[in-house]
This record gives sequence, C-alpha cells and structure tokens, in this order.
Amino acid sequence: MAHAEQTHVPLPVPAPFTGRQEIDLDVVRDLLSHFHYQDFEEAQELILSALQEVNEHFGWVSPEAAELVAEHLGTTVNRVYGLLTFYADFRTAPRGHHHLLICHGMSCYVLGSQQLVQELSDTYGIADGDTTPDEMLSVQVVNGCLGVCDRSPVVKLDDTYVGHVTPESLNDLLQRAVAGRAATEAAARGETLG
Amino acid sequence: MVHVAPSEHLSRLTSKEDFQAFRQQAHDRWERLWNGDTIVASVGVGSSSIAKGALDVLDRARQELGGGGIVREVSGNGAFWMEPWIEVKRPGAPPVVYGPVTPDEVSAVIGGQRQDLAVGVRGDEAFEGIQPLNAHPFFALQKQLLLRNSGVIEPDSIEDAIARGAYDGYFKVLFEMTEEEAIAEVTTAQVRGRGGGGFPAGVKWESGRKARNLPKFVVCNSHEGEPNVYKDRHLHESDPHRILEGILIACVTVGAERGYNYIGGEYPLAIRRFRKAVADAERLGLIGKNVLGTGKNVAFRVRTGGGAYICGEASALMYSVMGVRGQPRTKPPRSVEEGLWKRPTVANNTETLANIPDIIVNGGAWYASMGTENSKGTKLMTNQGPMKLHGVVEVEMGITLNTLFNDVFGGMREGYTFKGVQTGGVSAGPLTSDHLDIPVDFDSLGDVGGMLGSGGWVIFDENVCVVDFARYLTAFNRYESCSKCVPCRLGNPALVEILDRIRFGRGTLDDLTLIKRTSKHIIELSLCGLGQVAPVPLMGMIEHYEDEFRKHIVDHVCPTGTCPISAAASDAALDPSVDHALAAD
Repeated sequence: MAHAEQTHVPLPVPAPFTGRQEIDLDVVRDLLSHFHYQDFEEAQELILSALQEVNEHFGWVSPEAAELVAEHLGTTVNRVYGLLTFYADFRTAPRGHHHLLICHGMSCYVLGSQQLVQELSDTYGIADGDTTPDEMLSVQVVNGCLGVCDRSPVVKLDDTYVGHVTPESLNDLLQRAVAGRAATEAAARGETLG
Repeated sequence: MVHVAPSEHLSRLTSKEDFQAFRQQAHDRWERLWNGDTIVASVGVGSSSIAKGALDVLDRARQELGGGGIVREVSGNGAFWMEPWIEVKRPGAPPVVYGPVTPDEVSAVIGGQRQDLAVGVRGDEAFEGIQPLNAHPFFALQKQLLLRNSGVIEPDSIEDAIARGAYDGYFKVLFEMTEEEAIAEVTTAQVRGRGGGGFPAGVKWESGRKARNLPKFVVCNSHEGEPNVYKDRHLHESDPHRILEGILIACVTVGAERGYNYIGGEYPLAIRRFRKAVADAERLGLIGKNVLGTGKNVAFRVRTGGGAYICGEASALMYSVMGVRGQPRTKPPRSVEEGLWKRPTVANNTETLANIPDIIVNGGAWYASMGTENSKGTKLMTNQGPMKLHGVVEVEMGITLNTLFNDVFGGMREGYTFKGVQTGGVSAGPLTSDHLDIPVDFDSLGDVGGMLGSGGWVIFDENVCVVDFARYLTAFNRYESCSKCVPCRLGNPALVEILDRIRFGRGTLDDLTLIKRTSKHIIELSLCGLGQVAPVPLMGMIEHYEDEFRKHIVDHVCPTGTCPISAAASDAALDPSVDHALAAD
C-alpha cells in the first residue's frame, strides 16, 4: 500500500459543517479507517492529515477523538495534542452555532480589519478563538489570508463570504444571522415570533 | 478531502509510444472542442471567484445550456476584478470573456444579448468591436509562462493539460536527456528560488544528485504563510499538472525515490485539485513503478499544513511533514544533506518547480534571455490595498514598480493617496514613492531596505498609521513565532509592548533607541530566518516615516486618527464632565 492515500476507494462526501457539533466517535473511527500506512514513518506523516479530517468534519477535535487518532496511527495522545495546540487551524473546543472568520491579512488590515476585531471585542466580548457564553458565535481571526483581497476587508460567516465590511455592517450581519437562527428554532418548536 | 478519485476512463500507459499516442488524442480532442459546432461556456472557478458566487454562475450555465452545449469548469485567470467571469465560444466566432457576471445575467450573456459585459476576446484580433483580452493593460504588460493555462484548461482534466504541453518536459527527461544534461539546463537558466531566498536551483539539484545516502526525496514547498500572498494557491488551482511535472522532473533528475508536495491547509480547493492531478497521473502511470517502461520508479505524497507561518521555513516544513511541531533546527547540516527522515532532500518553492518544465522543453538559454542580469525569467506578483485592479500577474523580472502599480494594477482607487508599499511580506521594510522607479528583481530592492520575497505588494494609503501598521507586522511575528528560541519568543512581545506604549501616547524618545537595541538582539541571536528578519519591517517603518513616529511620541498626536491616542483625545472632547474652555488653556 505504498500510495494508499491516493488509490483507495473514496469516502462519501461528508456533510459540510453546520453549526455546533458534538463529536461522534463512530464517525471518527470511520474517517480513520481510510488511513492506511506501511510503516511507522508513513503513520507519523498521516497524523496531521487525520486531525485535519476530524477538524474539518466536526469543527474541532476533542481529547477522545485525539486519543482515537493516536491509537490508529500507533502514537501517543501527548504527541497528537502537541500538534493540535501548535497548529493554528485546529480547535480543541467546539465552535459556536455560527462561526466567523475575520481575515486579518495585510490587505484587510490596511483597509480596516483591525476595527472589526475591535468591534467584536467591544460588542460581543470575544477575541480570536473565543465563543460567546450563549454558544451562538465563535470567532477565528485569520492571520494568513482568505484570498479575496479585492473585497477587503473580508469576513466569512459559516459558508458565506462578505466583502467590504465595516463595523456597522458586521454587526448587522451577525444580528441577522442570530435572529435567523432564533426564528428557525422557534419554527421548529411550532412557535412564531411576534 | 484526502480521498480524491482519478478519472475512470484513464488507463495505464506503459511505453513511450503509449504516451505519444495519448498526447495525440488529447491534442485532437482539444482541437475538436474549439472547432466544433457546439457552444462552449467556460466559467472561471477559483477560491477568490467562489467567494463572489462563481459556483452559482456555473450552475446557471449548466441549466441554461443543458445538453445543447459544453460547460467547462476552468480556474480563475488571475484577474480578480472581473470575477465571476464566463467565457462563451460560439461556433464560428472566437471565445468572448464576460465579467463580472451575476447568475441572473448568465442566460442573456450566453444568448449574446449582453455584449456590454464583455471584457475582451481571446486571440489577437478584435471581434465585433470587442478588443482582445490581451490588449487590456492588466494582461498586455504580463509575460505569462506559468499562467499560460490559467483560466484556459480545466484543472481537473489531465487531457486538457497534456494538450497544452504538460509532461513534455518530463517526457524529455525520461527519454531524451541524461540527468546531467537536465541539471545543466536548470543551471544555465539561472533560475533562483522563488520563495524569497533566491538560492540558485541548479546548485541545489547538483548537490542533491551527488548525495549518496539513499533514499532521497524532493519536497515542494507550497506553504504560503505570508499574510498577503496567494500566488501558489492560484497556481495549484489553475495548473496543478505544471507543479506536479516540475516535482517529477526534479525526482528523476536528482534520483529521488519520492516526491512530496506540502500545501497550506487553508487552501481546500488547491489541495483538492492537486490531489486530483496526482490521482490522474498515477492512473496514467506517470507516477509509480516503472514509469512508461523506463524502469524508473517515482512515488508521490501530498501533505497538508495546519496554518503555521513558520512551516514555510524548510526545516520546519520537513518536521511538519514528519508529523511533529514545525520548529526550525540549526544548520548545517543543510536539508540537501540531511532533510526529511534524515535523508538528502531537495526542497524548492512551488513557483521555482513550476518553471522547470518550460526550461527543460525550451532550454536554459531561452529562460536566461528573460529578466535582468542576476534575476532571470518571470515572477508571479500579487497586490493588495486600495488599488483599482487586484489579482495575480506574471511579469518579466526588471519591471519597475511604477509600471507594475500604475499600469498593470491600474493605480490607486479614487479617493486614496499612495503612502507606501510594504514589500517582502512580514520580512522586509516598506518603500515610499521615492523608490518606485526601481526595477523589481532579487537584488535591487534590498539596497533600499525592501525585498522581492514572494512577490506580494501591499499598498497602503494616507489613512494607514505607520505606527499601527508596524505594530500589526510585529504582532504577526509575535503570534507566529514558534517559541523555540528566546530572542524571538520574548523579543517580539517586547517590541509590541513598546509600540503599544507609543500608540497610547505614553512613548518617549528613548523608546526609539530601545526598539533599535531590542531589534538588534532579535536579529543577531535568533535561530531561523523568521526570527532574524522579524524586526526588519518595524525598523524600515521607523527609517522611512520617523516623523510620524515622533509626532506620536513628542506631540501625542496620531496624524491619521488610528491610534488610541486620538481615541483618548476625542473621548475627552465628547465627555461633558471635561470643561473644554479650561482644557483648551
């Protein structure tokens, strides 16, 4: 299985991440079952990929999931947790119902993304990596670049990119997202919002 | 995302003749596509255009044409300002590119009722009053070698790529030249590392080939951590086979058992398209055992990063591939002596490797005829900030910044005044309007404290406070420090602290001296390239805009009103408890 990763049967496409999710360990086992390796060197090369797969599927990696990854690839959970906390893409706590990425690349910075970071801290009391106490909103400040530099400053709320954002329009966007969710939940309970 | 299936219809090629026949078929298919009597609509889909709704445009085009035409998913063409775009080829007419197009306009565009949305026509001649796309200044001043296929081929189709010349260089290296000859061409081309360092690729390959501690590896560094660069992402999304071919040529030439491509995890589309390219090439037998019957074996692995800037440093990158924290180590030994899994490893930047196929096909002398004396060939550039046109462009080395900014990128947006340009990502200083007639190459910019680096230009205008900008750049380095060695781990936070003092209006002139002293410690004592240049942007800002720093310190004023000093001042102005008549005294 020299090139196991490229040649084996593809997984069914996982549902895109929507909102806050608890980690189903059976799904993690299923994800991991597609990682094959021929020696310990290759197993080590796969740790990051495996964590990425879990992180992408659930939005975060729990200690239990990290343990499964370690077990599957023949390494220790300490090693796995060391990677989780070093690399910025991984989260070790669940996301909020809505997840906001604020692009803080240089392009967005020179056009005012600092104000957006400030707005989140002033109005919602959250900074990079935090989640609001009601678990409605989590935020990640992207130090790299979301790559939509002609629309700077850019944010990505769940799966939607929004460009030319100001503190006011950001607030508006978040209010609408939260209100939208409240309405959906109320409808699911059979209520209507007055 | 790890699992990308190859195209089912491809089958293994086992000889030179097999490949030639396949190449002929691909050519014929390409000709039929463009000379047939069906309408062909191509939509530019890349991460930047997806953010603007390109997938909806694609869907609408599919609905519109149904079975009555061909809809192709090509990549973006580098011109962000015309996204989302759609190219329509009608029978008997040249392809016309329209953009920006909303999903609702797709039907009318395909029907030919919205010629007002046309940006240009492919080819050299105008058509029905629409000018050639290549006559637009954004394209006219470019010299597209690496971007030749960008927005033209379907990145997921290996046949498209082969029809446009992919794997010709690989073929030449496998059947028509020796390893020594191949390296000689790369050396003659004088192609220098595109990641920022500028080290000659030929020299690196030669030492790689001579290394005897088997097995050997080739690693392609596609980790663009810089907060302002997306050229490698664009290359992966638009022409993944070109990068793959460059890596495979390197593997065969230096005798490496396995090639790697390490891609930043932030780029899901680039990763998916590159994996597809690898899967297809494997299925065709261009990767694997006994490639095309030559008896040569090349394996390939794609590895993805986790969002750590430091992993762009070669030794950190290799640790990351090996599944540990990406922290640089001391050198020597250099990675070409002892790299991945302690084996000789040739590590090159994506853009460097993407240049290799053309160099092999056309010869090193052809490549060396372009560019300036010490910097040959072309360079991918990206721009950010308040300019009219954004995107990825490829220009010949030696172009001046003036031409690049004002002609290619269309100058500043209305209402914004040029103040400076930050060069070299977070590793070099800014340049001011005095420096814009300097030719862009590896060496010239260094003389004035700038850097070509990976070719990202961040233009900032009069609304940006340089003290705040310097803090942003320093805070970036603080955040991205891998924390392995002390000067960088503690020095950068110390610099941020001093800058904050200045931003809050509590700075003193001694702070400027303190910044210089701390910076010197970080530069001289840090282990890796990141630490050694971390304070350089700050030093450059002070050098070019010392007046503005002094205004903050001496007058307690932030001229742009960005820093907390001005917030404090305006809060006081609004505070009714402050007696303004008294305060004015």
